[in-house]
Amino acid sequence: MTERPYIALKGVRKGYRLGEQAIPIFADLNLDIPRGDFVAIMGPSGSGKSTLLNMLAGVESADAGEVSIGGARLDLMGEAARSAWRAGNMGIVFQFYNLLPMLNAAENVELPLLLRPIPARERRARVERVLDLVGLAGRGKQYPGLMSGGQQQRVGIARAIATDPDLLLCDEPTGDLDRASADDVLDMLRLLNRELGKTIVMVTHDPRAASHAQRTLHLDKGHFIEERRAA
Amino acid sequence: MLFPFRQTRVMIRANLLSLPRWMAIATSMVFSVALVVLVLAGFLSMAAGFERALTSAGSRSVAVILGGGTNQETGSDIPAAVIRTIEAMRGDIGVARDAAGNPALSREIVVPVELSNDQAGAKMLALRGMDPTGPALRDGVALTAGRFARPGAREIVVGDSIARAFAALAVGREVRLGAVTFTVVGHFSSGGSAFESELWADLDVVRSAFDRQGEVQSVRVRLDGAGGIDRLRSALGGLTATPLVAVVEADLYAAQSAGTATLIRLFGWPIALLMALGATAGAINTMMSSVSDRTVEIATVRALGFSRLSAFVATWVEAAVLSAIGVAIGLAASWLIFNGWQASTVGANNASLSFRLTLDGGVLLTTALLGLAIGVVGGALPAVAATRLPLTAALRARG
Repeated sequence: MTERPYIALKGVRKGYRLGEQAIPIFADLNLDIPRGDFVAIMGPSGSGKSTLLNMLAGVESADAGEVSIGGARLDLMGEAARSAWRAGNMGIVFQFYNLLPMLNAAENVELPLLLRPIPARERRARVERVLDLVGLAGRGKQYPGLMSGGQQQRVGIARAIATDPDLLLCDEPTGDLDRASADDVLDMLRLLNRELGKTIVMVTHDPRAASHAQRTLHLDKGHFIEERRAA
Repeated sequence: MLFPFRQTRVMIRANLLSLPRWMAIATSMVFSVALVVLVLAGFLSMAAGFERALTSAGSRSVAVILGGGTNQETGSDIPAAVIRTIEAMRGDIGVARDAAGNPALSREIVVPVELSNDQAGAKMLALRGMDPTGPALRDGVALTAGRFARPGAREIVVGDSIARAFAALAVGREVRLGAVTFTVVGHFSSGGSAFESELWADLDVVRSAFDRQGEVQSVRVRLDGAGGIDRLRSALGGLTATPLVAVVEADLYAAQSAGTATLIRLFGWPIALLMALGATAGAINTMMSSVSDRTVEIATVRALGFSRLSAFVATWVEAAVLSAIGVAIGLAASWLIFNGWQASTVGANNASLSFRLTLDGGVLLTTALLGLAIGVVGGALPAVAATRLPLTAALRARG
């Protein structure tokens, strides 16, 4: 018996309206990603990468078709249910880190833990553990404004994995970083995938970033036109 | 919904910590609220002070008898024969009696007199002629300097409010009122009530000085216990020659204060409400700017799983906190500027009535509620806007 894919998109249709004009993004998109995969999605601007990521994150819904992650049908959920599901099952790594500047690194990492029934002491222990994991042990009191881009993105990754989710969605995670910092972040994502078994979907323009993934999908005009697997 | 309290608390904290980023516009909202509070507190403290001056002058154990079909001293006239009849009444007429068994009463007349000096300019003051029993028939009156006027002497005692405003009314000074020169022999206090706006002298001296021989405008009596006013009215009802009205002193002054205090409030509230409307529009603008400034942050925490409710409450609380700061500043400024500030207006008898602006509990509560309402109403719409931010804003925006 074939194992059901962890992420499954079937016959997904999605478009936007711009005034009177309908702008189709996906007419019939299908995608399977097994659990524990590290997938990079590439494509030119307007190809639908961001829309795909938004649908996987549950911040946008499909017009038609199935969006299933870990057996949960996101396309059948309301906004509040998607929000709760997201809080419990996925972490998001943003291109521009999206840290709250008025909170220190530890407080930023703690944010998703506040949505769970975890006592304060256990929350603090988890924050220390993930900051240690991303190489920022002892930097919890530091504010984002005093950190480099690479360090901020590490905090962003620590926040994404604080709840130990199965899935990480990464939106151009190295798009705002210098090469050395980008390599650090990509190495970290690969580590999370290989050592902790996280399923990672990463949208990127950068072929070097994509080369860290096990599988690269090229999206153009709403269709996957090429798939390449790492050697 | 998962742990809304913790989410909301952390969002409130984040919002409040981000205030320094938009300090200028937040400050403008705070001062708009403070200004509204200041203006309303000014009017309400004026009305409250005026009311207090008049209502504290009145006692429920003293009655004022008026004649001539009026319920004010101005225009009242009680013929001497009627007064003699009242004095001659035996039995229980609801009036306390002195050791000799005579009713404890004071015949009185009020004459407006003009007095001027450098400090206060020209003012019409109320010169009250009264029997020697007059001061004792007023509750809460005490000499603060000198003594009361002697019968038949051209002497006056001056209320503290007037004495503070007119250096010419210091004890020992001579002052010309009408065609007669009086000597100031004392000052008295009545706890800031309307009595302090009067000059008191002997009844016969005042009548003689102002050509009012035989005239009496009112008779003050001390009531004999509860129900005394009803018994007095019943007794006066038997005097068919002249229509007389007996009014409890407290009710007489309350009636005098009601019209003016209402007028002050009728001026104050529309101005304050118009300003509040403007301040609310400003608050909406301010909070919209705040929400706009924090679009990415709000969308980010929402993308992490925070609820719409937490975004709503946090924005609302932020507006309420800003307006509360404005209320605190407005009330502090009002207290410093208005509380105890002496003002005067034309009272009964067409004479000046001094009173102190009073920020009592009612004024503080009313103005505080109006100030907070600006934040609550002005913050509601932006709070709704915060819940409707597209989460996609978080995924691609530069934070």
